[in-house]
Amino acid sequence: MILGLRPPVAFAALLAGVAAVVIAIFNWKGAPVTSETFLVTTYIGLFLGALWAMYATGLVVVYTTTGVFNFAQGAIGVFSAFLYWELHVNRGWHSILALFVVVAMFAPALGVLLDVVIMRRLRTASLVVQLMVTVAIMVLLLSVVGDIWEADTPRRVPYLFGIENGIDLGPSQLPWHRLIVFLVAIAIAVAMRFLLRRTRIGTAMRAVVDNRELAALNGARPNVVSSTSWALGSMLGALGGILIAPELGLDPATLNNVVIIAFAAAAFGALRNLPMAVVGAMLIGLLRAHTGAWLDFGPDYRFAHLAVAPLILLFVVIALPQARLEVGRLAHHLRRHERYTKWWEGLIGCGVVILLAVAFSGGWLDFGVWDPGAWGSRELNSANEAMAFALIGLSLVPLIGWAGQINFAPLAFAGFGAFVYLKLAGDTGNGYWIIVVGLLCAPLGALVALPAARLRGLYLALMTMAFAQAMSLIFFPHSWVMPTIGVGRQFPHIELFGVTFDDRRGFFLVMVSVFAIFVYGLVLLRRSRYGRRWMAINDSQAAAATLGVPVVWTKVVVYAVSASMAGIAGVFWATVSGNVDSVQGFDLLIGFNIVLLVAAAGVSIPMAGIFLIFIPLFTGLGHRLEDAGNVGYLVTLLDIMTTYGPGLMVLGMVFNPRGAIFEMGRGFAPILPWRSDARAEIAAENAQKREPEIGELGIERPFTPEEVIAIDRRLGILDDVVPKEGYGTSRS
Amino acid sequence: MKHLRWIIGLLAILALVAAACGGNDDDDTGAPAPDAAPTEAPVDDMADDMGDDSMDDSMDDDMDDDMGADDMADDMGDDSMDDSMADDMGDDSMDDSMDDDMDDADAEPVATEEPEVDPCANVDLEATDIGITSDTITVLVMADVGSPLAPGLFQGSIDGVKAWADHVNAEGGLACRQIEVLEHDSAINPTETTNGFLVACEEAFALVGTTALFALDTTDLQTCSDAHGNDIGVPDFAYITTEPPHQCSVVTFATSRPNSACPYAGSGPRTVQSQVGHVQWLQENINPDLNGVYLIPNDLPSTISSSMPQVRSFQEIGVVIDGEPGISGFTTQSEYGAFIQIMRDSNSNFAYSGSDDQSMIKWRSEAEAQGFDAESAIWMCQLACYTPSFLEAGDVIEGTYTWIWFLPFHETEHNQELADFMEAIDNPFPPAWAAGSWADGVLFEQVVNDIVAESGPNAVTRQAVLDSARGLTSFDVNGWWGPADYSTTQNIMPCFMLMQVQNNEFVRVYPESPGELDCNADNVVELTLDWLEEFGG
Repeated sequence: MILGLRPPVAFAALLAGVAAVVIAIFNWKGAPVTSETFLVTTYIGLFLGALWAMYATGLVVVYTTTGVFNFAQGAIGVFSAFLYWELHVNRGWHSILALFVVVAMFAPALGVLLDVVIMRRLRTASLVVQLMVTVAIMVLLLSVVGDIWEADTPRRVPYLFGIENGIDLGPSQLPWHRLIVFLVAIAIAVAMRFLLRRTRIGTAMRAVVDNRELAALNGARPNVVSSTSWALGSMLGALGGILIAPELGLDPATLNNVVIIAFAAAAFGALRNLPMAVVGAMLIGLLRAHTGAWLDFGPDYRFAHLAVAPLILLFVVIALPQARLEVGRLAHHLRRHERYTKWWEGLIGCGVVILLAVAFSGGWLDFGVWDPGAWGSRELNSANEAMAFALIGLSLVPLIGWAGQINFAPLAFAGFGAFVYLKLAGDTGNGYWIIVVGLLCAPLGALVALPAARLRGLYLALMTMAFAQAMSLIFFPHSWVMPTIGVGRQFPHIELFGVTFDDRRGFFLVMVSVFAIFVYGLVLLRRSRYGRRWMAINDSQAAAATLGVPVVWTKVVVYAVSASMAGIAGVFWATVSGNVDSVQGFDLLIGFNIVLLVAAAGVSIPMAGIFLIFIPLFTGLGHRLEDAGNVGYLVTLLDIMTTYGPGLMVLGMVFNPRGAIFEMGRGFAPILPWRSDARAEIAAENAQKREPEIGELGIERPFTPEEVIAIDRRLGILDDVVPKEGYGTSRS
Repeated sequence: MKHLRWIIGLLAILALVAAACGGNDDDDTGAPAPDAAPTEAPVDDMADDMGDDSMDDSMDDDMDDDMGADDMADDMGDDSMDDSMADDMGDDSMDDSMDDDMDDADAEPVATEEPEVDPCANVDLEATDIGITSDTITVLVMADVGSPLAPGLFQGSIDGVKAWADHVNAEGGLACRQIEVLEHDSAINPTETTNGFLVACEEAFALVGTTALFALDTTDLQTCSDAHGNDIGVPDFAYITTEPPHQCSVVTFATSRPNSACPYAGSGPRTVQSQVGHVQWLQENINPDLNGVYLIPNDLPSTISSSMPQVRSFQEIGVVIDGEPGISGFTTQSEYGAFIQIMRDSNSNFAYSGSDDQSMIKWRSEAEAQGFDAESAIWMCQLACYTPSFLEAGDVIEGTYTWIWFLPFHETEHNQELADFMEAIDNPFPPAWAAGSWADGVLFEQVVNDIVAESGPNAVTRQAVLDSARGLTSFDVNGWWGPADYSTTQNIMPCFMLMQVQNNEFVRVYPESPGELDCNADNVVELTLDWLEEFGG
């Protein structure tokens, strides 16, 4: 151990320190370093750290006490900040009253509501579903904020304690507000640690997440405890949002992005250690303030100081030892009972997709207002973009769906593919380079897989998220990577087999064909040895390793395949766009949306990618209906579906974790003549008696006869002769 | 067997691909898709394609070379142009005479010209092009409105164009027809922006009031076919052109002038004109030795490229720049403390924000929080601060200077166009982009009226509008704005007026007389540099 760190971590920390010094030397602004400037910069950093610590504390509390990492923590803060503005600024309530209503009444109510309606049902869900649902809540909350408050209007939230007066620091001053916020953040962290470690409810909170049933047997009330946890986390999110809002202004996207900094801080504390999370937040605050004050990064790395948090998150997640994750959840994993698609079934399916695409774009079918052939360039352009996103989404199927490797960075891989293509093909549009792009993206995937090899679950999700954020802040904005152009297209139309695909219908069909090829390739891959290995490491890495599966190599291969597919998809995406916006084009939220939609469709089903084209189809239909007139309510309905649809679909995973395409397939399969297995499965399900909810194991009330039967059945001691109505009931 | 499956599958897919891609389905829509390749073609080729000599002679040369005022006067050659204005343009420079013109405008508000003879009388109106029928002219207003995270962003643009159309229709219409307005939401999204161009191409006569931030690919805009199958593009009367492809589009005429030379490759040196009159006024009237900090909005390369010329132009007229830090929307207020420290260390007396009103509010609030003596510096920002939400910040922004290039909204008594706008828009303090989109409408109106006056209402085609707009060397929104030269993208509007926030109101500071703008040619500095490289970070 070196300074309390394991040697590899100490070495990595040393390397990071040296890199930071080198970066500082080469980017030194040259501003005079005075004690006053240093002091002011330091207190600014600590203040920022205190704000982020508040978010981080909420994350850690919720994670420690519920086992759910809440991606919606920032969105709860955004919603609360807007509500506070509405009450205090717009309606003139006193700030303390408004603060009380939002933080002490609304936020806990929201937390309890989330717990009762959604989170309790996720108890046995896989980590993918849990994460996706919290991301969906984030997207929905932000959409609601946008709809209620017309978020474009600039708004200011006043400082709670005023900012004009403070402690005199010579020529400068430390406003009371900032000092109070700093102290409050520290006090909250201390109080939360005390609550979790020294109180009965805190102990119960931690016990429930480790073993809910055992905790209940010892007198804890799991539902009350989890609701309390969500209420607490929500309150901290609300307080953080209200205190950060005066610093950033009331902009939903900006405020929500702060949560990524909180993720880094929470990861610094291994997601469970509150003091370390606070230290992490302070460290990020200090780094950000001091890099801003002393360093110049030039136009190409202009977002470098904003990348401090994702880089720290990346480093921490890779370097620090993992905390125990997914405790007690393995036993609840859903039984894998998908069947392997036969090769000829895949072929027919792909053929049908292509025929439908031809019908859509070629006008072979006439459905009146639905008539796709009558749709013009606008709809085709949207369909092309959606098809490109569908291709990117498809790359997630082997990675997330089969191998269980969560990836929030599909756009980073896709963007890398576009970049490689730009450098190889230049302005020729030579489509043959796409194959090389696929080959060159594979090593990037493998590179990401190496740190991922030792990560699982949430840490992997955080790592890929930090990777995506770092790429979007540092790599893509570089003028050499995505140079801006003044005339024409950055990405010329693709030329293949001597044909330039400069017409949107033709290009749409090309992409559909590539999609079909990918889908068919995946169908075959899934039946192959590699496909079975991927699913094996998803089910249990330990078991797979015991059976001789090379876990690391298997992960590297699946990452390489996924990156390769995403890279190729990226070329199509960039070509559809013509000119890629190097800043907003790679926004993390877009990547989130792709992952969300694929997950909602059923991330283990290759055809799930096609789900991504439904949104533009709805939009296109809305345009047509609008043009037709007198259907305002339908247009509004479609508008709502477009805005809230993705989030709501993902929330549907609470009840249907396998996704919509999977369920559609299950409904469709029994009518196929050769699917006797599907018919048998449905019949078995119908015959199975639904077990009643056991509730809280009789702690709150006596067992009912039905529950006794259910428990006996679960324990395997129920004799079939026992009446279904339960013991002690008469048969009349 | 296993390999056979793969091969069969692959061959079948490839066969389907080949079959599917065999035909060209363009004819299905009725509107030919732009299959030519002028996208990659230089502007020369585009001009050739248009088969327009005037385009070749004036547009190309003007794009490359600075156009003298004499040339402008010659090129004008348009009877419909106001004589006095033509005389003024004949001057060696646009100097104080512009002020006189503006004064004239005060004395006698300029209204839309009424032709002496009714051009609609005894004319059998025809559908002369896409989007124009015997009864209507359809224009499309595209604006970033519906982003889920920023809904309603440029709704003001749509409101501005609709208000303008209602006003024109109430006055009898345009080219003997009523104006119909289509709306398209570009949603802060490049694909939706391209979709807007496509809709305009197929359904509208022209785009009016375009306020889309991500017009990254203007190929469809510039190569769209007209009713005769000529790939001439759709006239685009835009308010905002942030990206070089939009700034340099040969069919785009932006009322907030790009002030930058075209064509432009997207990187490397570019000639840009900047307005410095407002700072010169500060030097002459408040402090001749200005030194201070200029905040550069660095979220996008285009925002850096549009701010850096102003910084260097300020230096050109003697302002010492103590720091030019970049800021983004993610910069917290407390991080503005670093800029306050630069001002302290350098004894700065000047603070200029190239960003928006919220940025200036954060800066001034942080100055207050840090105990910085606000009186010791002159605080200034541009049009982006001319908003009601800026005033809502209260005392903290007291004394901030703001400059704009048109008469402020409260001076309705001094300009009829402004009065019409304020009456039609029905908002005591409308957003600037509503004014810009209205100005776009007036520009379109003037161009069409010129065509009607010269050749009658059936001569109004996209080609005619493009030709007319490209020859427009001076347009001033009927005296509401400073005059601008639309024959080149490079020339800036030389006019400005300065306001200061006093007692929570925007108060005119210079020129002192209401209804006046300062249009002195000395207000403009022209520099050629690689602007992105100039930015330190």
